Formats: sequence, structure tokens, C-alpha cells
Amino acid sequence: MVLQIALFEIRFWLRSWMVWIFLFIIGLLVFGAVSTDQVQLGAALSNTNRNAPFVIQNFYSFIALLTLLMSTAFVNSAAIRDFSYNTYQIIFTTPLSRFDFLLGRFIGATLISVIPMLGVSLGILLAKYMPWVDPERWGPVDWGSHLRGIAVFALPNAFFIAAVLFAIAVLARNEIVSFVAALILLTGYGVAGALTQDIQNETLAALIDPFGSRAFDLVTRYWTVAEKNSVSIGFQGLLLWNRIIWIGVGCLVFAVAYSRFSFAERRTKAKPVEAGAQDEIVPVQVPLAHPQLHDAPWAKFVGSFKIHFVGMMKSTFFVVIAVASLLNCIPSLALSATEGYGNQTLPVTYWILDLIRDTLYAFILIVITYYAGVLVWKDREERMDEIADATPAPEWMFFASRLLTLILMVMAMQAAALLGGIAVQAWHGYHRYQIGLYLHELLIRDASSFLFLSILAFFIHVLSPNKYLGYFFYIIFVAGTPFIWRPLNIATNLFRFSGRPRMTYSDMFGEAPYRAAWDWYTLYWFFFCGILAVATVMFWPRGKQDRWAGRRRNAAQRFHDGWISATLLCMLAFASTGAWIWYNTAVINRVVGPKTLQRRQADYEKTYKQYEKQAQPRVRSVKYAIDVYPQSRNITMRAEQVIQNPYPQPLTEIHFTIDPNYVTDIDIPGASLSKDDQKLYYRIYKFDSPLQPGESRTMHFTVKSKNRGFENELSTVELVQNGSFFNNTVGPVIGYNSQRQLADPNDRRKFDLKEIDLMPPLERNCTNDCRETYLGGHSDWVEVQTVISTSADQLAIAPGSLVREWQENGRRYFEYKLDHESMNFYSFMSARYEVAREEWNGIKLEVYYDRQHPWNVPRMMNSLKKSLDYYTKNFGPYYHKEARIIEFPRVARFAQAFPGTMPYSESIGFIANINKPDDIDFVFYVVAHEMGHQWWAHQVIGANMEGATLLSETMAQYSALMVMEKQYGRDTMRKFLKYEMDNYLRSRGAERLKERPLLTVEANQGYIHYRKGSVVLYYLKEMIGEEAVNRALRKVVQQYAYAQPPYPTSHALVDALQEQTPPQLQYLIKDLFEDITIFSNRTLDASASKRADGKYDVTIKVEARKYKADPKGNETEVPINDYIDIGAFAKPAKGKKYGDTLYREREHITQPNSTFTFVTASLPEKAGIDPFALLIDRVPDDNTKTVSVINGK
Amino acid sequence: MELTIKNLSKTYKNGVKALDNVSLTIPRGMYGLLGPNGAGKSTLMRTLATLQEPDSGAVTLGDIDLLKQKDEVRRRLGYLPQEFGVYPRISAQDMLSHLALLKGITNSRERKEVVSAMLQRCNLYDVRKKALTGFSGGMRQRFGIAQALLGNPQLLIVDEPTAGLDPGERTRFYNLLAEVGEQVIVILSTHIVEDVMDLCTNMAIIHAGKVLYQGEPQSAISRLNGRIWQRSIDKTELAHYEQTFQVVSNKLVGGRPFLHVFGEQPPGDGFVPSQADLEDVFFTKIRNWD
Repeated sequence: MVLQIALFEIRFWLRSWMVWIFLFIIGLLVFGAVSTDQVQLGAALSNTNRNAPFVIQNFYSFIALLTLLMSTAFVNSAAIRDFSYNTYQIIFTTPLSRFDFLLGRFIGATLISVIPMLGVSLGILLAKYMPWVDPERWGPVDWGSHLRGIAVFALPNAFFIAAVLFAIAVLARNEIVSFVAALILLTGYGVAGALTQDIQNETLAALIDPFGSRAFDLVTRYWTVAEKNSVSIGFQGLLLWNRIIWIGVGCLVFAVAYSRFSFAERRTKAKPVEAGAQDEIVPVQVPLAHPQLHDAPWAKFVGSFKIHFVGMMKSTFFVVIAVASLLNCIPSLALSATEGYGNQTLPVTYWILDLIRDTLYAFILIVITYYAGVLVWKDREERMDEIADATPAPEWMFFASRLLTLILMVMAMQAAALLGGIAVQAWHGYHRYQIGLYLHELLIRDASSFLFLSILAFFIHVLSPNKYLGYFFYIIFVAGTPFIWRPLNIATNLFRFSGRPRMTYSDMFGEAPYRAAWDWYTLYWFFFCGILAVATVMFWPRGKQDRWAGRRRNAAQRFHDGWISATLLCMLAFASTGAWIWYNTAVINRVVGPKTLQRRQADYEKTYKQYEKQAQPRVRSVKYAIDVYPQSRNITMRAEQVIQNPYPQPLTEIHFTIDPNYVTDIDIPGASLSKDDQKLYYRIYKFDSPLQPGESRTMHFTVKSKNRGFENELSTVELVQNGSFFNNTVGPVIGYNSQRQLADPNDRRKFDLKEIDLMPPLERNCTNDCRETYLGGHSDWVEVQTVISTSADQLAIAPGSLVREWQENGRRYFEYKLDHESMNFYSFMSARYEVAREEWNGIKLEVYYDRQHPWNVPRMMNSLKKSLDYYTKNFGPYYHKEARIIEFPRVARFAQAFPGTMPYSESIGFIANINKPDDIDFVFYVVAHEMGHQWWAHQVIGANMEGATLLSETMAQYSALMVMEKQYGRDTMRKFLKYEMDNYLRSRGAERLKERPLLTVEANQGYIHYRKGSVVLYYLKEMIGEEAVNRALRKVVQQYAYAQPPYPTSHALVDALQEQTPPQLQYLIKDLFEDITIFSNRTLDASASKRADGKYDVTIKVEARKYKADPKGNETEVPINDYIDIGAFAKPAKGKKYGDTLYREREHITQPNSTFTFVTASLPEKAGIDPFALLIDRVPDDNTKTVSVINGK
Repeated sequence: MELTIKNLSKTYKNGVKALDNVSLTIPRGMYGLLGPNGAGKSTLMRTLATLQEPDSGAVTLGDIDLLKQKDEVRRRLGYLPQEFGVYPRISAQDMLSHLALLKGITNSRERKEVVSAMLQRCNLYDVRKKALTGFSGGMRQRFGIAQALLGNPQLLIVDEPTAGLDPGERTRFYNLLAEVGEQVIVILSTHIVEDVMDLCTNMAIIHAGKVLYQGEPQSAISRLNGRIWQRSIDKTELAHYEQTFQVVSNKLVGGRPFLHVFGEQPPGDGFVPSQADLEDVFFTKIRNWD
């Protein structure tokens, strides 16, 4: 009987369109995700095959999240269909057992819920055969992984979801409750994820994930590309336990549902009104009043608005979607404030606003799309149209009351999010409430877009012959038009509906640089929507017109006096704002199409790459005179630059790449302009008499920004009203600039460009190939002097010591001079800064910050001091007389080291929230890292060659680690390194090219030079000692600080380290720097027995295996012959994360399995191999094991 | 005030000729529009209610051009469509109040009074807080007339108002109508002959978009008197009689067909003279025998 009921249920659904539509949707999503780069579902697909077993199983592991609401529809209907359709009286009076009925329905609904999930396999299987896919990215069809995906994820997840939803449906018997419960389940899932995202709890997080997605993630997180392409997993390890737990929970939940289910009808709440009785009463003869009728359109408008608004707010779908959106939004606000290393950021308002946009606005777009249709068609669908249309109410009232309803629905959602945002700020103890900013950003800036979209939607629906075509055309328009501008090579916002320039708010400048353009475009679209609105009113459907002629005649009748003038006014205003915008953006400024921009990049490369290797004169010194005009966002930079020929042969030419956003004048005495490419911004000057070896000449250039009027999109975001931040590269850059090349591989292919060059291969003892630093720029160490002026309310900063400061003509002037020649790579800034000043051994320490962001300035100061302490003691002298941290607006999000100055973005560090004792001090760390660069990059800089960043980034990272360890202790370093190791191991699985060893790392492989670098250097320090490492570094600094070319390579560093490494540990150098070495260490058994003297004998059985990986991640085991620590920890004291180290000894391990016995003074909690997890190991958690106590006899 | 319809024509997109050169003059009082389903009554009613554009023709209400000055008409109009629905999740009182507002009763105190009086009048006062969607057919129809009567319309158009009402409700409904019908123009469309007979002082018969008759019901009947004959026959003979005679109607009386036939002369064959009624008028008109 169970089977028959289940089969009946399945057949019931197979006949409905719903299940097939759902299958189609999921199939399409997955198909898009694997066959194109535009669609993304879950994480981006990296270098794995598009149909790798990992990809298939990964989709299956989270697809339940997407199908959850679909399952709700099936399960809810299966559970309560008989109550909603009143068939229960028929069904439940049959001799059917409750068990058969419920279980049959449940099984049927569960199996049907699996069908949409099969879209994963469908999409992946079909995509392989599409003509546009790159066959190299597709492996053979692996049926096993499809089946395992279904067995391990799809079926158990469908079962669990069905059980929970079935229980809810049975208990609540209400569709809305079921959907809201499903949404809460989804949100709860997200919240649990956010709460457990700290990697300290990863096992727990993996087990409590009902869908097994996190367990899958944990099991596979360190898989290499090779593994992802070949392995699929079944029920095993953590995943097995996860599945057992949640299938068990599912059974339990179903049992509860079963026990609570009753065939009996419950009290129904909403009975139909019984009419009979009253009809017998003779109607009361009440005299009818004869009230005066008024036109009063406004009163009608307000009344209509009220009735629509109340009606919409009460509608099921709106309640569900509003609850869903807020469930999506508010917990994200409360939980995901992270800045790396498990830290939180202060919930500053702009950041809350961005989160609201990310989490809420998709729902708002759905609300606009859906309810515009509902509102336009409401009267006709409810068949109220004839009554309402025959009343003496004007058409505009019908339209306007509905438009206002829609806008206020949207604003209500925004307002709820706004209150949520403020509540979250208060909850975090952050009391800087920028109410004005909230209101402006949400209710003006964003809501204006929603208003425009709503008017468009109404317009389309009013012209559409039915609601579904209306939806179709609206969605096609809104979702489709953004994709046509690139092929059409159109960039101007004048053609994109509601198109306005992108704005980034900053506490420093508000939206000032963008505002003029934004305001004008807003007006422009406002008037356009005004025209649309008039047309909407004119064609507002009234009555039953079956022909366009009738609609047109109606429209013509309506179009009189006021409407004509309003239309003309809107058109005039639209045309004149359009003209004004055109004049500003396209006449006095330029709008360049996206394709044109790319073609220019490609042409630049094709035309001038030939000169990349051509010897050019080098910059020796520069004197700048810079005027910054913050209010007009302009600068003038005049420079006197000494160039020299360091080569043995004379130079006949000098080439420049010019910044297209600036007007550049170059004056080189004794040289003439032989090529001036005004399209690609490249100039070649020929010397009348060649520049002889060793000869220097002085050239001048003037660079002026040309900000006038307003632009279509802001081009010089470095120049702003408060917080200008520009580099010396706004001036002419000598030679070919490879940074101007197209970077995206697809774009390069389109223009027949070969793959972008990797760095030149590493050489030992190189001379000519080591003439350039990896920063490029045809310069060595330069002297820089600057006179910089700005408006009276701002401070301007240039590299070096402040020599003097004065006021002149209402402007402030500052003169700076570099204390020591440096890399030709620095920045200039101007803003209204507060300055914190301290001194360290005669060096001025300064933090320039915005008045609103004082929180972490003391930490920065402290880090500056501690860094200088450590680095001057261990590496060598600091040659500048100042160390500055300078805040810049959040248009970019990084911190960077220039000589003696470290610009630091408003949106990191300055807003870090470090309040728990074991938080990693992110601010302190970043400052220490950037200070490390003052030695590693600004004293010792690598040649442009593989491994260059080992000398700068890895060393800066090591430096920061040492300063942090001094400040915060070893336990903090364990936590920090755990994140670094995790990041490295995860990132290597997503490597797009080849994983390199540290020695030959590419400049863009951050996960290697930062993350692996941290782990490796810290380990080396543990093995050979901090002093030995620092001796090596000192030697490198002594030899190469400010040295002339040839510049050092990574060999210089590794050789120095090798010298300091004792003979028995020499193997480390190869393992750590030259190879990719991975360990698999674990403790099989740990036991302890108490001795007569009160101490403990501890015995551990350990396994140690060592592997070498190739660039694709294929691993080969190599014999182990390593010195590895073993050790034991006491139970951590209350509130501590790590226990005291009771024992630590380095053992020479020569075979995979070994047993060690040692004595500890007290009872250890854990013991094992590599107990501090210093070696790169994909499962660090099994290095130690909890010690079992054996009763000593 | 008088409603004058001149040469009104309307052909639908699908080719159906709903109004074919219709001309009518409708005075104050109850006016019945009689016709079978699909005769064009609703099209005419909707056109008069400003909801549909005719292809040609003219309509004036007093000195208002009904086809052009729609707002002027709407200020004087009460309309009960043949079919109507209501917004979900809204009570009778709120909906009625909303419609009163749309009609122009903007003073909220006045509106409250009017709505309350109207609800009592239409015997909906006790269920005024109930959701309209839960109303029975009769209650809904009474709500319909309540809203049509709001704002003292001078032109009241009710389209098939008694469809689905039980006899008691129908009577009460007509009482309501009759009360206002003395003062204003009431146009009542129906396919039920008794309705017109009971209520209307003037009437028109419409069929296939054409006006077949307009005038007083009684005079139409008088014209037919002496030309209607009746008898009861056996079921098996029905086909034969329908071929042989101009059968106006056949009803089952006591399980046997009871025929009315039309004929200038006594048809014989057991037929006896019958008192003509409006139904006979209706059927002879639409069959074009008279």
C-alpha cells in the first residue's frame, strides 16, 4: 500500500509541469556555469576540468540549497493537499492506515524532490558537447561521480529536507508557514556557516551542516587540481558521519510528524460567511443621504494608495519575500564582518550599506518585477475593473496610487534593513550613526533607481496585451539590455536605461567627485521617466478595449491641456539635460567604448612591445613642483628630471608611455620628437647627439590633469576633493609599460595576442638580465625633491623629510626631500588630515588619518615602533628620517609601502575591530609587513625574474611574523600560521597556471609568496633558529641594500640561508625553496602511564610520510629522512587555547612508522608528531592525539 | 433627462457584430433591455458605462456627449457589471468606502454615513466587517448594487443583476431598484422576461446586435394578443409539431410538452387561444415572425 501511494504521488507530480520546469532551471544554471565564464554558481571553477568529479560532487553538495524552496512546494502539497482541497473527507474515510498514507506520500515527495537536483548531471553532461566549449577543459564522462553525487548528497539531502518540511506542513497546515520555515532553514544554514567559519571549529561545522556541503569542503579543501580531476568520494570519513547524523535526524523528525498527524479536521479559522439567516430579515429602510460629490483627485489618490498598499503588504508573497530578504540581510549584517584571520571590522555605515545592497536588492528587484505586474493587472484579475473604471476617478490616479504603493513597498524593505543596520551597529557598540548617509544612500540614491525601474515596468505592463507578456518584455529589457552595450561598443550612460556613473562613497570625500555627473544623469532619467509616466497614464487601460484603435482614441481624448504641457516640459527638460550631459561627457571630456579601449590596449602592445627590451636612459633624480587643487580635482606637476646613460653604448632615443588622463608636455634639450602617437599615448624622442655612456642630461616635463565639467564615468579617481592620492607614474613613464597590456586571456585571444609573458626564468650569476628591478620603470635609486602646494585646509605629503612649510596666496606649500635615494616609486597625497606624531630614536613617526577614524591609530604607532626596533636590530639601519602611515579613500583597498611612507586604505586597518584578547592584531600585522618592505623592496629589491617577490613579499611577511611574535607570543603565531597554511593549501587547488616553488615564484602568486612564505620561513626559523635566519638576512641587506644593478635574485637569499643551515638540515633548503614538499604526519596512538615518582611515561606511535608535488599537484612519495619535532601538551588553562608544552624534542625520522617514549612532569592532554603543525600538511589536526592513560602496574 | 443612442455599431476583432446600428431613446424610469445571451446587451451596457469605444454612432445623456465627456458621465453613473470580483483580504465596508471615495464622496464623515446607510439598505450591515471573498452569490450581488447606488447616480446601469439569485433575493433586489428607479434612468439588462414585465415601464428587445422592438411591454403584448395558441402534446410528437408550426415556446407541464405557437389564424389540431405574455413577444421577435 505504501508503494502504491508513493507511486501515485510520483505520477501526480510527473504529470505536472512544475517538476520539469524546476529540473530545467537547475539544469540551465549548471549548464551555464560549466559551459561559460559568465554564469557562476557557487565558487568559480578554477583550473580543474569543467566536468571534473570534484566539480560534479561539489554542485551536488550545495544544490539542495537552491532546490529547497522547490522541495517545499512538493512536500507541503503532499502533506496537506487534502486539507487545502477539502478532499480529506473522501480520503480519510477510506480504510487507509495512517502509516501507509503518510509514508507513501513522504517517499513520493522525497523522490520527486530529487528530480530538480538531477539538473546538475543534465547540465554537465550536455555542456560537454556544446560547440563553444574548450575541449581541453573537459575530461571523460565519469558516471561514478554522478552516481556518488546523487547517493551521497542528492538523496540524503532530499530526505532530510522532506522530513523537516513534512513535519512543519503536518503541524502547521499552512503554505506560508512552510515557505517561511524553509527560508528560515536556509538562513539558519547561512548563519551557522558564518558562526562556524572560524577554522578552529571546522570539524564541528562540517558535522552540523545538514547538507554535508561543509563536510565535503573540509574533506576536499586541500585537493590539488590533479585530485579534483580524478577522484570522487563516497561515504567516508567525516562525510560518512555527517550523513549518518542527518539521515538519523531526518528519521526522527519524520517520526514526530507521524505521531502528530491526525486525519481529523481541525477547527477551521476562516469559515465562509453564512448568509442565510440575515436574508429573512426585511432590509431596514434607511433614508439615503445625498452627499455632495467632489472631484478631489488627491483624496482619491491617497485613498487608493492606502487600499493598494495595505492589500499588497498583506499578500502572502510579499510577506514571504520580505521575511526572506530580511532573513538574508540582517544576519549577514550581524555576522559577516570579517577582515581576515577571523577578525571583525567595525560596522561602519558605508560597509553596512554595501552589505544591504548585496543581500537585499536582489529581492527588491524581484518585488518590483512581480508587483508591477500585479498592480497593473490587479483590477482586471480580480474583475474589479468595470466597477472601478466606471467611477469618476482620473487615470493618473490609478497609475500614481499604484506606483506609490510599489515604491513604498520597496522603501519599507529598505527601511527595515536600515533599522537592522543601525541595530547591528548598536549591538557591536559602534555608536557613530550616520543617519543622513543611510537616508541618502538608501532612500535617494538607490530608491531613485527603483523608481525608474518601477515606472518602466508599469509602462511595459500597460502596453502589454497580457500580464505574462508584460513580465517577459520587462525581464528581457532589464536583464538583456546590459549585455548589448559591449558588443555595440557603447559606453555612455545616456543610452542605458537609468544609467548613471558608479559611485563609491568615502567618509573622506562623501560622493563629491561623482556627484555632478550623477545628479545630471539622475535629472535626465527623471525626465525620461516623466515622459514614460505620461504615456503610461495616457494608455492606462480603462474598460474593455479590444482594439488598439480604441486605446489610441482614449489616449487622444485624455491628452489635453495639462498633459500636453507636462509632456512638452519633460521632453524639453530631457533633451536639454541630455544635451548638457553630452556636452560635458562627450565634448569637453571623452566617452570611449569598451571595445575601443581594448583595441587600444591591444594596438599598444602590437605596436610598441618591440621596444620593451630596448635600452633607455635611466632616471637619476627628480625635482617636482606640484600644485594640487582639491576643489576642482586638478593637479599640475612640473618636474626637472635627470636622465643618464648607464650603458656602454650611446643611446639615440628615449621613449615614453603617457597617461591618457593627463596633458603631458616634455622638453628634452637636444632631442626632438620623432614619434607622437596621440591615440596610444606613446612618444619617441631622438637625441640630436646621442646620449654617451655615462652622460647625464636634464629634461623637464609638465603634467596637467584636465578635469572639466563632468564625465560619463570618473576617470581620475586619484584626484578628489579630500584624499587625493596619486603616484609619480601620472608623469611620463620611460619605455614600454607592460601594465597597459590586456590581461584577460579571453580578450587576448580575441585580439590574436599570445599568452601574457611570465617573468623571465631565474638565473644564477646574472648580469644583463638583472639590470631591471621587478618594479620596472627604467630607473635605479633616485633622489627626489618636491615642493607641493594644496588648498589652505589640507595637508600635502610627498616622499622624504619635510624641509619647510609656508603659506602663499591662500595656499599651503610643503617642501620635501628624500633622505636617501630610493626606488622611483612613490606617491603624493593631499587631504584634511589629523596627524598623530611620535618619535623613535630621532625618527619621526606620523599617522595621517581622517578625523572620523581614530580607532586604530595607537596600534599603528605601536607597530611602527616595534617594527623599527626589530628591523634595525636584526636587518640593518633605517635610512629615512620619518615613517608615515597615510590614510586614503576607499576607492582602493590595500596598504602599500613607498619609501618611508605607507598609504593605507580607509577600508582596512583603520576600521579593524580588535577587541577579543586572542584576536590577531591585523592592523599591527599589516603595518609591520609594510615596514618590513622598507628593507625588503626599498633597500633590497629583486631583479625582474622568477622568485623576485621572495625577496620582498616573503621577507616582509617573515619580518612581520617576528615582530608579531615578540609582541603577542608564540600562541598567537600558531593561530596566525594556521590561517596562512589553510590559505596556501586551498589556493593551490585553484591555481590557474602552475604551482611554483618559492624560489621561482611568479609575482602574481600571492598565495605562495605571502602564505606559503610565512609558513616556510617560520618553520626554517624554528629549525635553524631566529638568529641564524637573521644573520643570513643581515648579510643580504649588507650586500644588496641600495646596490646598483645587477639586482639580486632569490638565489642570493636562499644561498645566504643555506650558509646558515647546519649540515644535517641542508635538505631543508631544497624541500622548502626549490621543491613543493608536502607531509602527511599523524599520530596513531598516544598513551601515558604514571610513574612512581609522579611523572608520566608517554608513548606515541607516529606515521610520517613525505611527498613532492609537481606543478599540477600530482604527488610522489619520497623516502623520509627528516628531523621532525615530537611533543606533548598539557590541558589548556581556562580561557586559553593552547596548553603548556610539556615536552618537545627533535627526532631524526627515517621511516614512516616509529614509536617514541619520553617522560613528562605532569599528565599530558595531547601528544604527537610535529605538534605545532609547522610542516605543510594537508591534515594538521591528526598530528597530535589525545593521550589515553594506562594504569601503571 | 434622457439617454439617446443613435446608430451605435460595434464589431469585435473576431468579427462578431455586437451592435448593429442601434438607436434607442431611454427616458427616466426603469428600462428593460431584453435579449438572449450574446445579443449584444453587455456591449451596449459597457458602452453606456464609458468602458468601451463603439466603432460609430453617438450617445448623449441630456446634453452630455457620452462618448467624449466620459468624466461628466461617470460623475452621474452607477454601474453594476454582469460579472465582478473584489480585492482579496478586504471587508465589505472598506471596499464600499473606497468606491465611495472614488465616486467623489471625499468628506470622510459623510462617506461613513453613506456607506453605513447603504450597507443597511442592502442588508449587509451585519457582515460589513467580513471579507467580500467569503460572500455568497446573493450577498455579493447586493454589494454590487450597493456600490452602484453610491453617490446618487442619475444613470444606473445594471447588467444581468439577478443571475444566480434565488427568488427571494431577486424580489428584494428589485425592490431596491424600483425605489430609485422613479427618479433616474435605470437600464436593466436581462434575459429573463418576467424581470422586465414586473419592473419596467419601457423596454427594448435586442437580438444579434439589432433592436427588434422598443416601447412599453404591455403594448407589445397587446399587439400579439390573438395570435398565440397553446396545447399540450405527447413527447414523441414534439419533432413533428416543431416542423409543422411556428413554435414560440415549449415547456414541460406535468411531464408533457406544453406548446405556444404563433399564427395569424387558429392552427387547429387541438390548439386553443392563449393569453400572450412578454415571453411570447420575445420569442416571436427574435424569430422575426412578427
